[in-house]
Amino acid sequence: MTAIAPRREDDSLQLKPRRDPFLIILWIILVTFALVWIAPVVLIAFTALKSNAEVMATSAFTPPQEIAWNNFSGAWARGNFETTFKNSVIITVIKVPLGLMFSAMAAYALARIRLRFGKLLLLFFLFGAMIPFQVMLAPIFTLVNGFGLIDTYPGVILPYLAFGVPYQVFILHGFFKAVPKELSEAALIDGASHVTVFRRIFLPISLPVLAALLILDFVSTWNEFAMALVLLQDRHMWTLPLGLMSFQGQFSTDYGQLNAAIAMTVFPAVLVYMIFQRYFVSGLTSGAVKG
Amino acid sequence: MFNSKFMQSSRTQALLLIGPALAVYATFAIWPMIEVVFLSFQHWNGLDPHREWVGLENYRYILTNDAVFWVALRNTITWTILAVIFPPTIGLLLALGLNQQLFGRVPMRAIYYLPVIIAPIAVATIWRWMYDPFFGLFNQVLTSLSLQSLISDWLGDREIALYSMFVAYTWQYVGFSMVLFLAGLQSVDRSLVEAARIDGASRWQVFRHVTLPALRVTLAIVLVLSTISSLKAFDIVYGMTGGGPAQSTQMLALWAFMQSMQIFDFGRGSAISVILLLVTLTIVVPYLRWSQRDEGAGE
Repeated sequence: MTAIAPRREDDSLQLKPRRDPFLIILWIILVTFALVWIAPVVLIAFTALKSNAEVMATSAFTPPQEIAWNNFSGAWARGNFETTFKNSVIITVIKVPLGLMFSAMAAYALARIRLRFGKLLLLFFLFGAMIPFQVMLAPIFTLVNGFGLIDTYPGVILPYLAFGVPYQVFILHGFFKAVPKELSEAALIDGASHVTVFRRIFLPISLPVLAALLILDFVSTWNEFAMALVLLQDRHMWTLPLGLMSFQGQFSTDYGQLNAAIAMTVFPAVLVYMIFQRYFVSGLTSGAVKG
Repeated sequence: MFNSKFMQSSRTQALLLIGPALAVYATFAIWPMIEVVFLSFQHWNGLDPHREWVGLENYRYILTNDAVFWVALRNTITWTILAVIFPPTIGLLLALGLNQQLFGRVPMRAIYYLPVIIAPIAVATIWRWMYDPFFGLFNQVLTSLSLQSLISDWLGDREIALYSMFVAYTWQYVGFSMVLFLAGLQSVDRSLVEAARIDGASRWQVFRHVTLPALRVTLAIVLVLSTISSLKAFDIVYGMTGGGPAQSTQMLALWAFMQSMQIFDFGRGSAISVILLLVTLTIVVPYLRWSQRDEGAGE
């Protein structure tokens, strides 16, 4: 009897969370809410796969009867997706790794090398993370125009780098600062340079954080609209968001194709998110928001 | 690896490491911020080689003659207040819920975060279509529920267009606050929560006295980021209403852009930018000072 009693207590403690009516109600609320939240996405997916006749004839959340794949090819051709997709890929593939590299290097130096103005410099970077560039579209245009870089890849990549660096430096600095001294000091005493320590020790251990930042940066670069609108005037240089905006203006009544265009614009970012998402919350937790 | 004196000086190495980031940041982010202040004191159409200094004329014009500016200012303030209240509150509630051991919490987190990944301009396109007065989802649903009296021209009615837009914005950004709060919740001491529960504290008491204090830093970060991202509201307004109908949903960032890049009055556009920049700084600078002091105390 005495042997069993405490065990029962344990059991009841363990089972309690499952039977808790509070949690059941909570679960129902969260699921209902989630269904509402995902409804627009389902709507896009369904409509993108319906012919226009079917869009008109059926209700919004009826799954497509005959899958109209030709919405995708139609939107691809009419919306000039070949060009805009290529431009978006080129800009993102250059900007994201380069920006992470620059930020990681700077964050390492600011966190790990004693500098007279180190703290001030960090504050200077941090400041940029707080300033919305949407406020300064005109002077950015003037500057890039002054360099003769309007309608070029560098003309949009350089400002993207500039506005991506501050936040990444901030996050990575927090992470590097928390790395125990023992890890780098031995190597430094043995005569390794900071560049080596950064490359051989700090880069490998910061991979989860870098993966989280990669998602954030990929998504924001891929989706960026305002700066591209100002800096890329020639439609041969347009990125996907600009192309989508123009598509909406011209073919807004072709619902099937419009939704196919939306889906094609959004899909790569969703894919990258799904691939790297297991690093996402853990990566951000380790750097940014430690209590 | 060359072992010269050059590489060994840690100052030189620091310079090499910081150099690229600093150069690109100073040139393409900080310089435009200084330039916009110069531009705001000039009269310029963006092309003319000659820029004329006009002192405070641009500011005088905006503050006294530009009715749209005041509408934009009011809308920006309304938008910011809403953006600081609603998405963070809903995000916090979701994070608290999805931090429990619940069936399917991982896919649910993904669903709530999904809109954050979608391009704002695509969100604008989606919602514009859902708000369509004739073919849109909302009016269809209202019709099928026999609630015809509630049918509206969601983006065409000046009284409600701003709020319709804000609903779309909330849909997009709730997941962002949620993820930050979820990250913050991982730092809440579990044993403390359990001890409090065993001692008979109610859920509300645990939240009020254990969870909330632990979320203090996260809360500050979320609120500041929400404020800043609300001031950035550009894509969604540009894509949904373009500031209309009759400028009733105009915002400062968009109005600054239109003045400079569409009306080609860089001076007035820049003056609007400077005003918005000043608003931003009054929020950002106190936060930076607070966070620096906080870090100093933590060390």
